[in-house]
Amino acid sequence: MRQDLVIGMAGAGGDGVIAAGEALIAAAAIDGYHARMTKSFGSQIRGGESSFRLRMSTAPVLSLGGALDVAVALNWDDFLRFGAELPVGGRTTVIYDSKTGVATSQIPLTGITPAEVVAVPIDQMARDLVGNDRAKNTVVLGLLSGWFGLPAAAILSGLKKRFAAKGEETVKRNEDAFNAGVKYAQEHPLAKGSTLAPVAKTTAKRLIADGNTMCGAAAIVAGCRFFGGYPITPSTEIMQFLTKELFKYGGTVLQAEDEIAGVGAAIGASFAGVKAMTATSGPGMSLKSEMLGLATIAELPLVCVNVQRGGPSTGIPTKSEQSDLFQAVFSAHGDVVRPVLAPVSVADIFGITIEAFNIAEAYQTPVIVLSDGDIGQRKETVDPFNVDAFPIVERDRPAPDELAAYTRFKLTESGVSPISEPGMAGGNYLASGIEHTQSGAPTAAGSVHAEMTAKRSRKLDPLKKRKDLFQEYGRAGAPLALVSWGSVAGIAQEALTLAEREGLRVKLLVPRLLYPVAEEIYRAFFKSVQGGLIVEQSYQGQLWRLLRMFVNVPDGVEPFARPSAVPISPEELVTRLKHIAVELQRGRMPEAAPVE
Amino acid sequence: MQATLQAKDFKSDLKPIWCPGCGDFGVLSAIQRALAAIGRPPHEIAFVSGIGCSSRIPGYTTAYGFNTIHGRPLPIAQGIKLAKPELLVLAAGGDGDGFSIGGGHVAHVVRRNIDITYIVMDNQIYGLTKGQLSPTSPRGLKSVTSPYGSLEGPINPLLSVLAYGAGYVAQGTPADMAALAKLIEDGIRYPGFAFINVQSPCITYGSVDAQLKQQKAAMQDLRALGHDSSNKLGAYALAEEYGTKLYTGVFYRKPVAEPTMEGLAAERHAMLREKALPKSDILKLFAPA
Ligand SMILES: Cc1ncc(C[n+]2csc(CCOP(=O)(O)OP(=O)(O)O)c2C)c(N)n1
Ligand code: SF4
Repeated sequence: MRQDLVIGMAGAGGDGVIAAGEALIAAAAIDGYHARMTKSFGSQIRGGESSFRLRMSTAPVLSLGGALDVAVALNWDDFLRFGAELPVGGRTTVIYDSKTGVATSQIPLTGITPAEVVAVPIDQMARDLVGNDRAKNTVVLGLLSGWFGLPAAAILSGLKKRFAAKGEETVKRNEDAFNAGVKYAQEHPLAKGSTLAPVAKTTAKRLIADGNTMCGAAAIVAGCRFFGGYPITPSTEIMQFLTKELFKYGGTVLQAEDEIAGVGAAIGASFAGVKAMTATSGPGMSLKSEMLGLATIAELPLVCVNVQRGGPSTGIPTKSEQSDLFQAVFSAHGDVVRPVLAPVSVADIFGITIEAFNIAEAYQTPVIVLSDGDIGQRKETVDPFNVDAFPIVERDRPAPDELAAYTRFKLTESGVSPISEPGMAGGNYLASGIEHTQSGAPTAAGSVHAEMTAKRSRKLDPLKKRKDLFQEYGRAGAPLALVSWGSVAGIAQEALTLAEREGLRVKLLVPRLLYPVAEEIYRAFFKSVQGGLIVEQSYQGQLWRLLRMFVNVPDGVEPFARPSAVPISPEELVTRLKHIAVELQRGRMPEAAPVE
Repeated sequence: MQATLQAKDFKSDLKPIWCPGCGDFGVLSAIQRALAAIGRPPHEIAFVSGIGCSSRIPGYTTAYGFNTIHGRPLPIAQGIKLAKPELLVLAAGGDGDGFSIGGGHVAHVVRRNIDITYIVMDNQIYGLTKGQLSPTSPRGLKSVTSPYGSLEGPINPLLSVLAYGAGYVAQGTPADMAALAKLIEDGIRYPGFAFINVQSPCITYGSVDAQLKQQKAAMQDLRALGHDSSNKLGAYALAEEYGTKLYTGVFYRKPVAEPTMEGLAAERHAMLREKALPKSDILKLFAPA
């Protein structure tokens, strides 16, 4: 019995591929499995081919795994368009619709021989049973359930709900199609198949969420009551979710004319005393950067989410990447220190978004949440958690007696000065992007500029001590290290387990605060380290380079960085770690692998 | 009842850095007078500007001011008004700020009809950066970036804002400060987006021919001309003459104002309030089917 199953499926538009994936992940959540699913679409806007890749497991899912265990092709041409997303390996069972009529020997899987290739008359079964080739996905669900032990009852109840509106008849016919798939599977056992181990049903049902929606929900909990944004893949679901939900809480969403106006409106709302957010992806971030500088110098709280995609320029909208780190940290003129946080999973973006609001309010600063397309759009099972356990921070407003002699940008030891807002009598001040004195008066005096720059930077120093924004795994004194952030951190976590199993002594650091760089935390972590990898989905190895600006990263620690074309796998990280370990044993520094 | 406010209550301690004789001084006084007439205390007013000589203006008032970045006062002002509709929100800037770098925002604040009064100090030149061509400079104007005369014609701010569909469009000049104050007051009272173009000459870099001379000589009051401000076609015809004649007064005032976005948002809040899940239950949104 398997503990874990990776399924990939592709078909033409209208084949219901995504619906099948969603039925599976819902059934997984209901039955207590852990699961993660990503969808991919072809280049056509409508009616194009689509695919999903889903991993179900009895244990928490940290990545989408390596090669598929099961590949379902409703159509070969469509399947092969997702070559990188749906990698077939030597252990894969390939199931295809016999209607597509490709002989086994012709299956062009770039030299890889899958474990088993099975043709099923999927289209025919759908037509016979439902009288409609649109039910192919239901047949496939039955096949998967029969061959791999996926929870039939939960899938069936999902189907029932889905088709309830269309009447009993439709429900019944889809049930028949599902059962026929199950029966077919039983009558044609797989040579190499094996079923997924059952799990004890959880009392609290797991939830299913995508990162963008989670982010929006967290913003509401954090107290966000204004959102200004402009649509851009893969961030748009944040705005869409908030337009639906935020008005219920007395908040307002502005779909602005562009990203500059979106962030500008959010800054205006924050100036008016309301917690505000904007969200976008790389190109939008580029446009927002002047405004972010304004929020920094005017010392206004603001949360700005960047759901990264492949860049530069318009790049690849649908490919997730981690190549906007430099932009998040440095895209501003002048001396700007701006907190950058990164979530590691769908569940994690909830806490990270709340934390971003808390930091923004506490320090009166814009905060960037560096999410990515993977976290933003994939679906994941999430264990229910206590929403009330997250502390919510409010900005330090002047008390009524402080308003008598109020100074907005007062130089305080912490660098934070109480902030008033329109409506507060006595708190009147001039906020500006122009350098200003403590009272807010514009100035060109170099000495004031120096003082104010120091104030704005100093107030963020306490962040660097926030150990709670770092996760450490593995053995404390290990000589080998992994550092990884964002959606790739889960892959590094799997690599750690694999590496330990192979006898390597490794530890892993996952920073969720990327900037300001927490120098002491890294220094302590690197103390025992002689070699290792800083893993991320970019070309330049941006975190590796950033850390080297602030910390003495040991020479043996090299970047393992690759843009989004081919996902990074735990296995290749372990292979590289082994190589480093061998080199270290020989007493030589390893040759750095070329940055690809 | 508010204690009666006077123009001086809106005068801050900051000393304007404008060149002596700059038209913006008059605009400032007119705004202070208008605000006194309105009678809202300074702390209930948010005054937003972009960047330019003219954009320094909020700092010279006692209102909550926000001197933002070049071209962007309107988005920021809209965020303020949508977040706190009870505030009186003013936006101001130069012609470069409003119709060049920030030109894209004007159409949208109009389309949303957010109750903001937008005052453009139109000096047909870039003042702060010392005399470059502006989007309202007349064709052929010689400036430091058009030493042989500009090749481009001007944008017509009055006509474009009218065409976007604004409910209130007016023009004034500090040469007639009392009338300008009245226009600003009227614009603030208009329950929706109001645009006031102010022919405010730059005496340092501006074109004396194009603006200064014309201002005194060719000034004509729209009401005296018999223009009915509810006549939109008439307003278009008069606005066409921007750059040749200096009309002052209200070009257009929509007789029945349309709903504002903040007003509609408040209705939506009231309509949906009951549907808000308690914070502790928000994860219910993620329950599997
Ligand atoms: C993004 C950006 N680009 C350019 C500038 C430089 N700049 C400052 S003010 C200005 C133009 C000012 O002209 P206008 O808006 O007409 O105002 P005025 O000074 O004439 O009142 C320019 C180009 C800037 N501050 N920011
Ligand atoms: S440069 Fe022109 S616009 Fe600027 S302050 Fe001087 S006169 Fe006024």
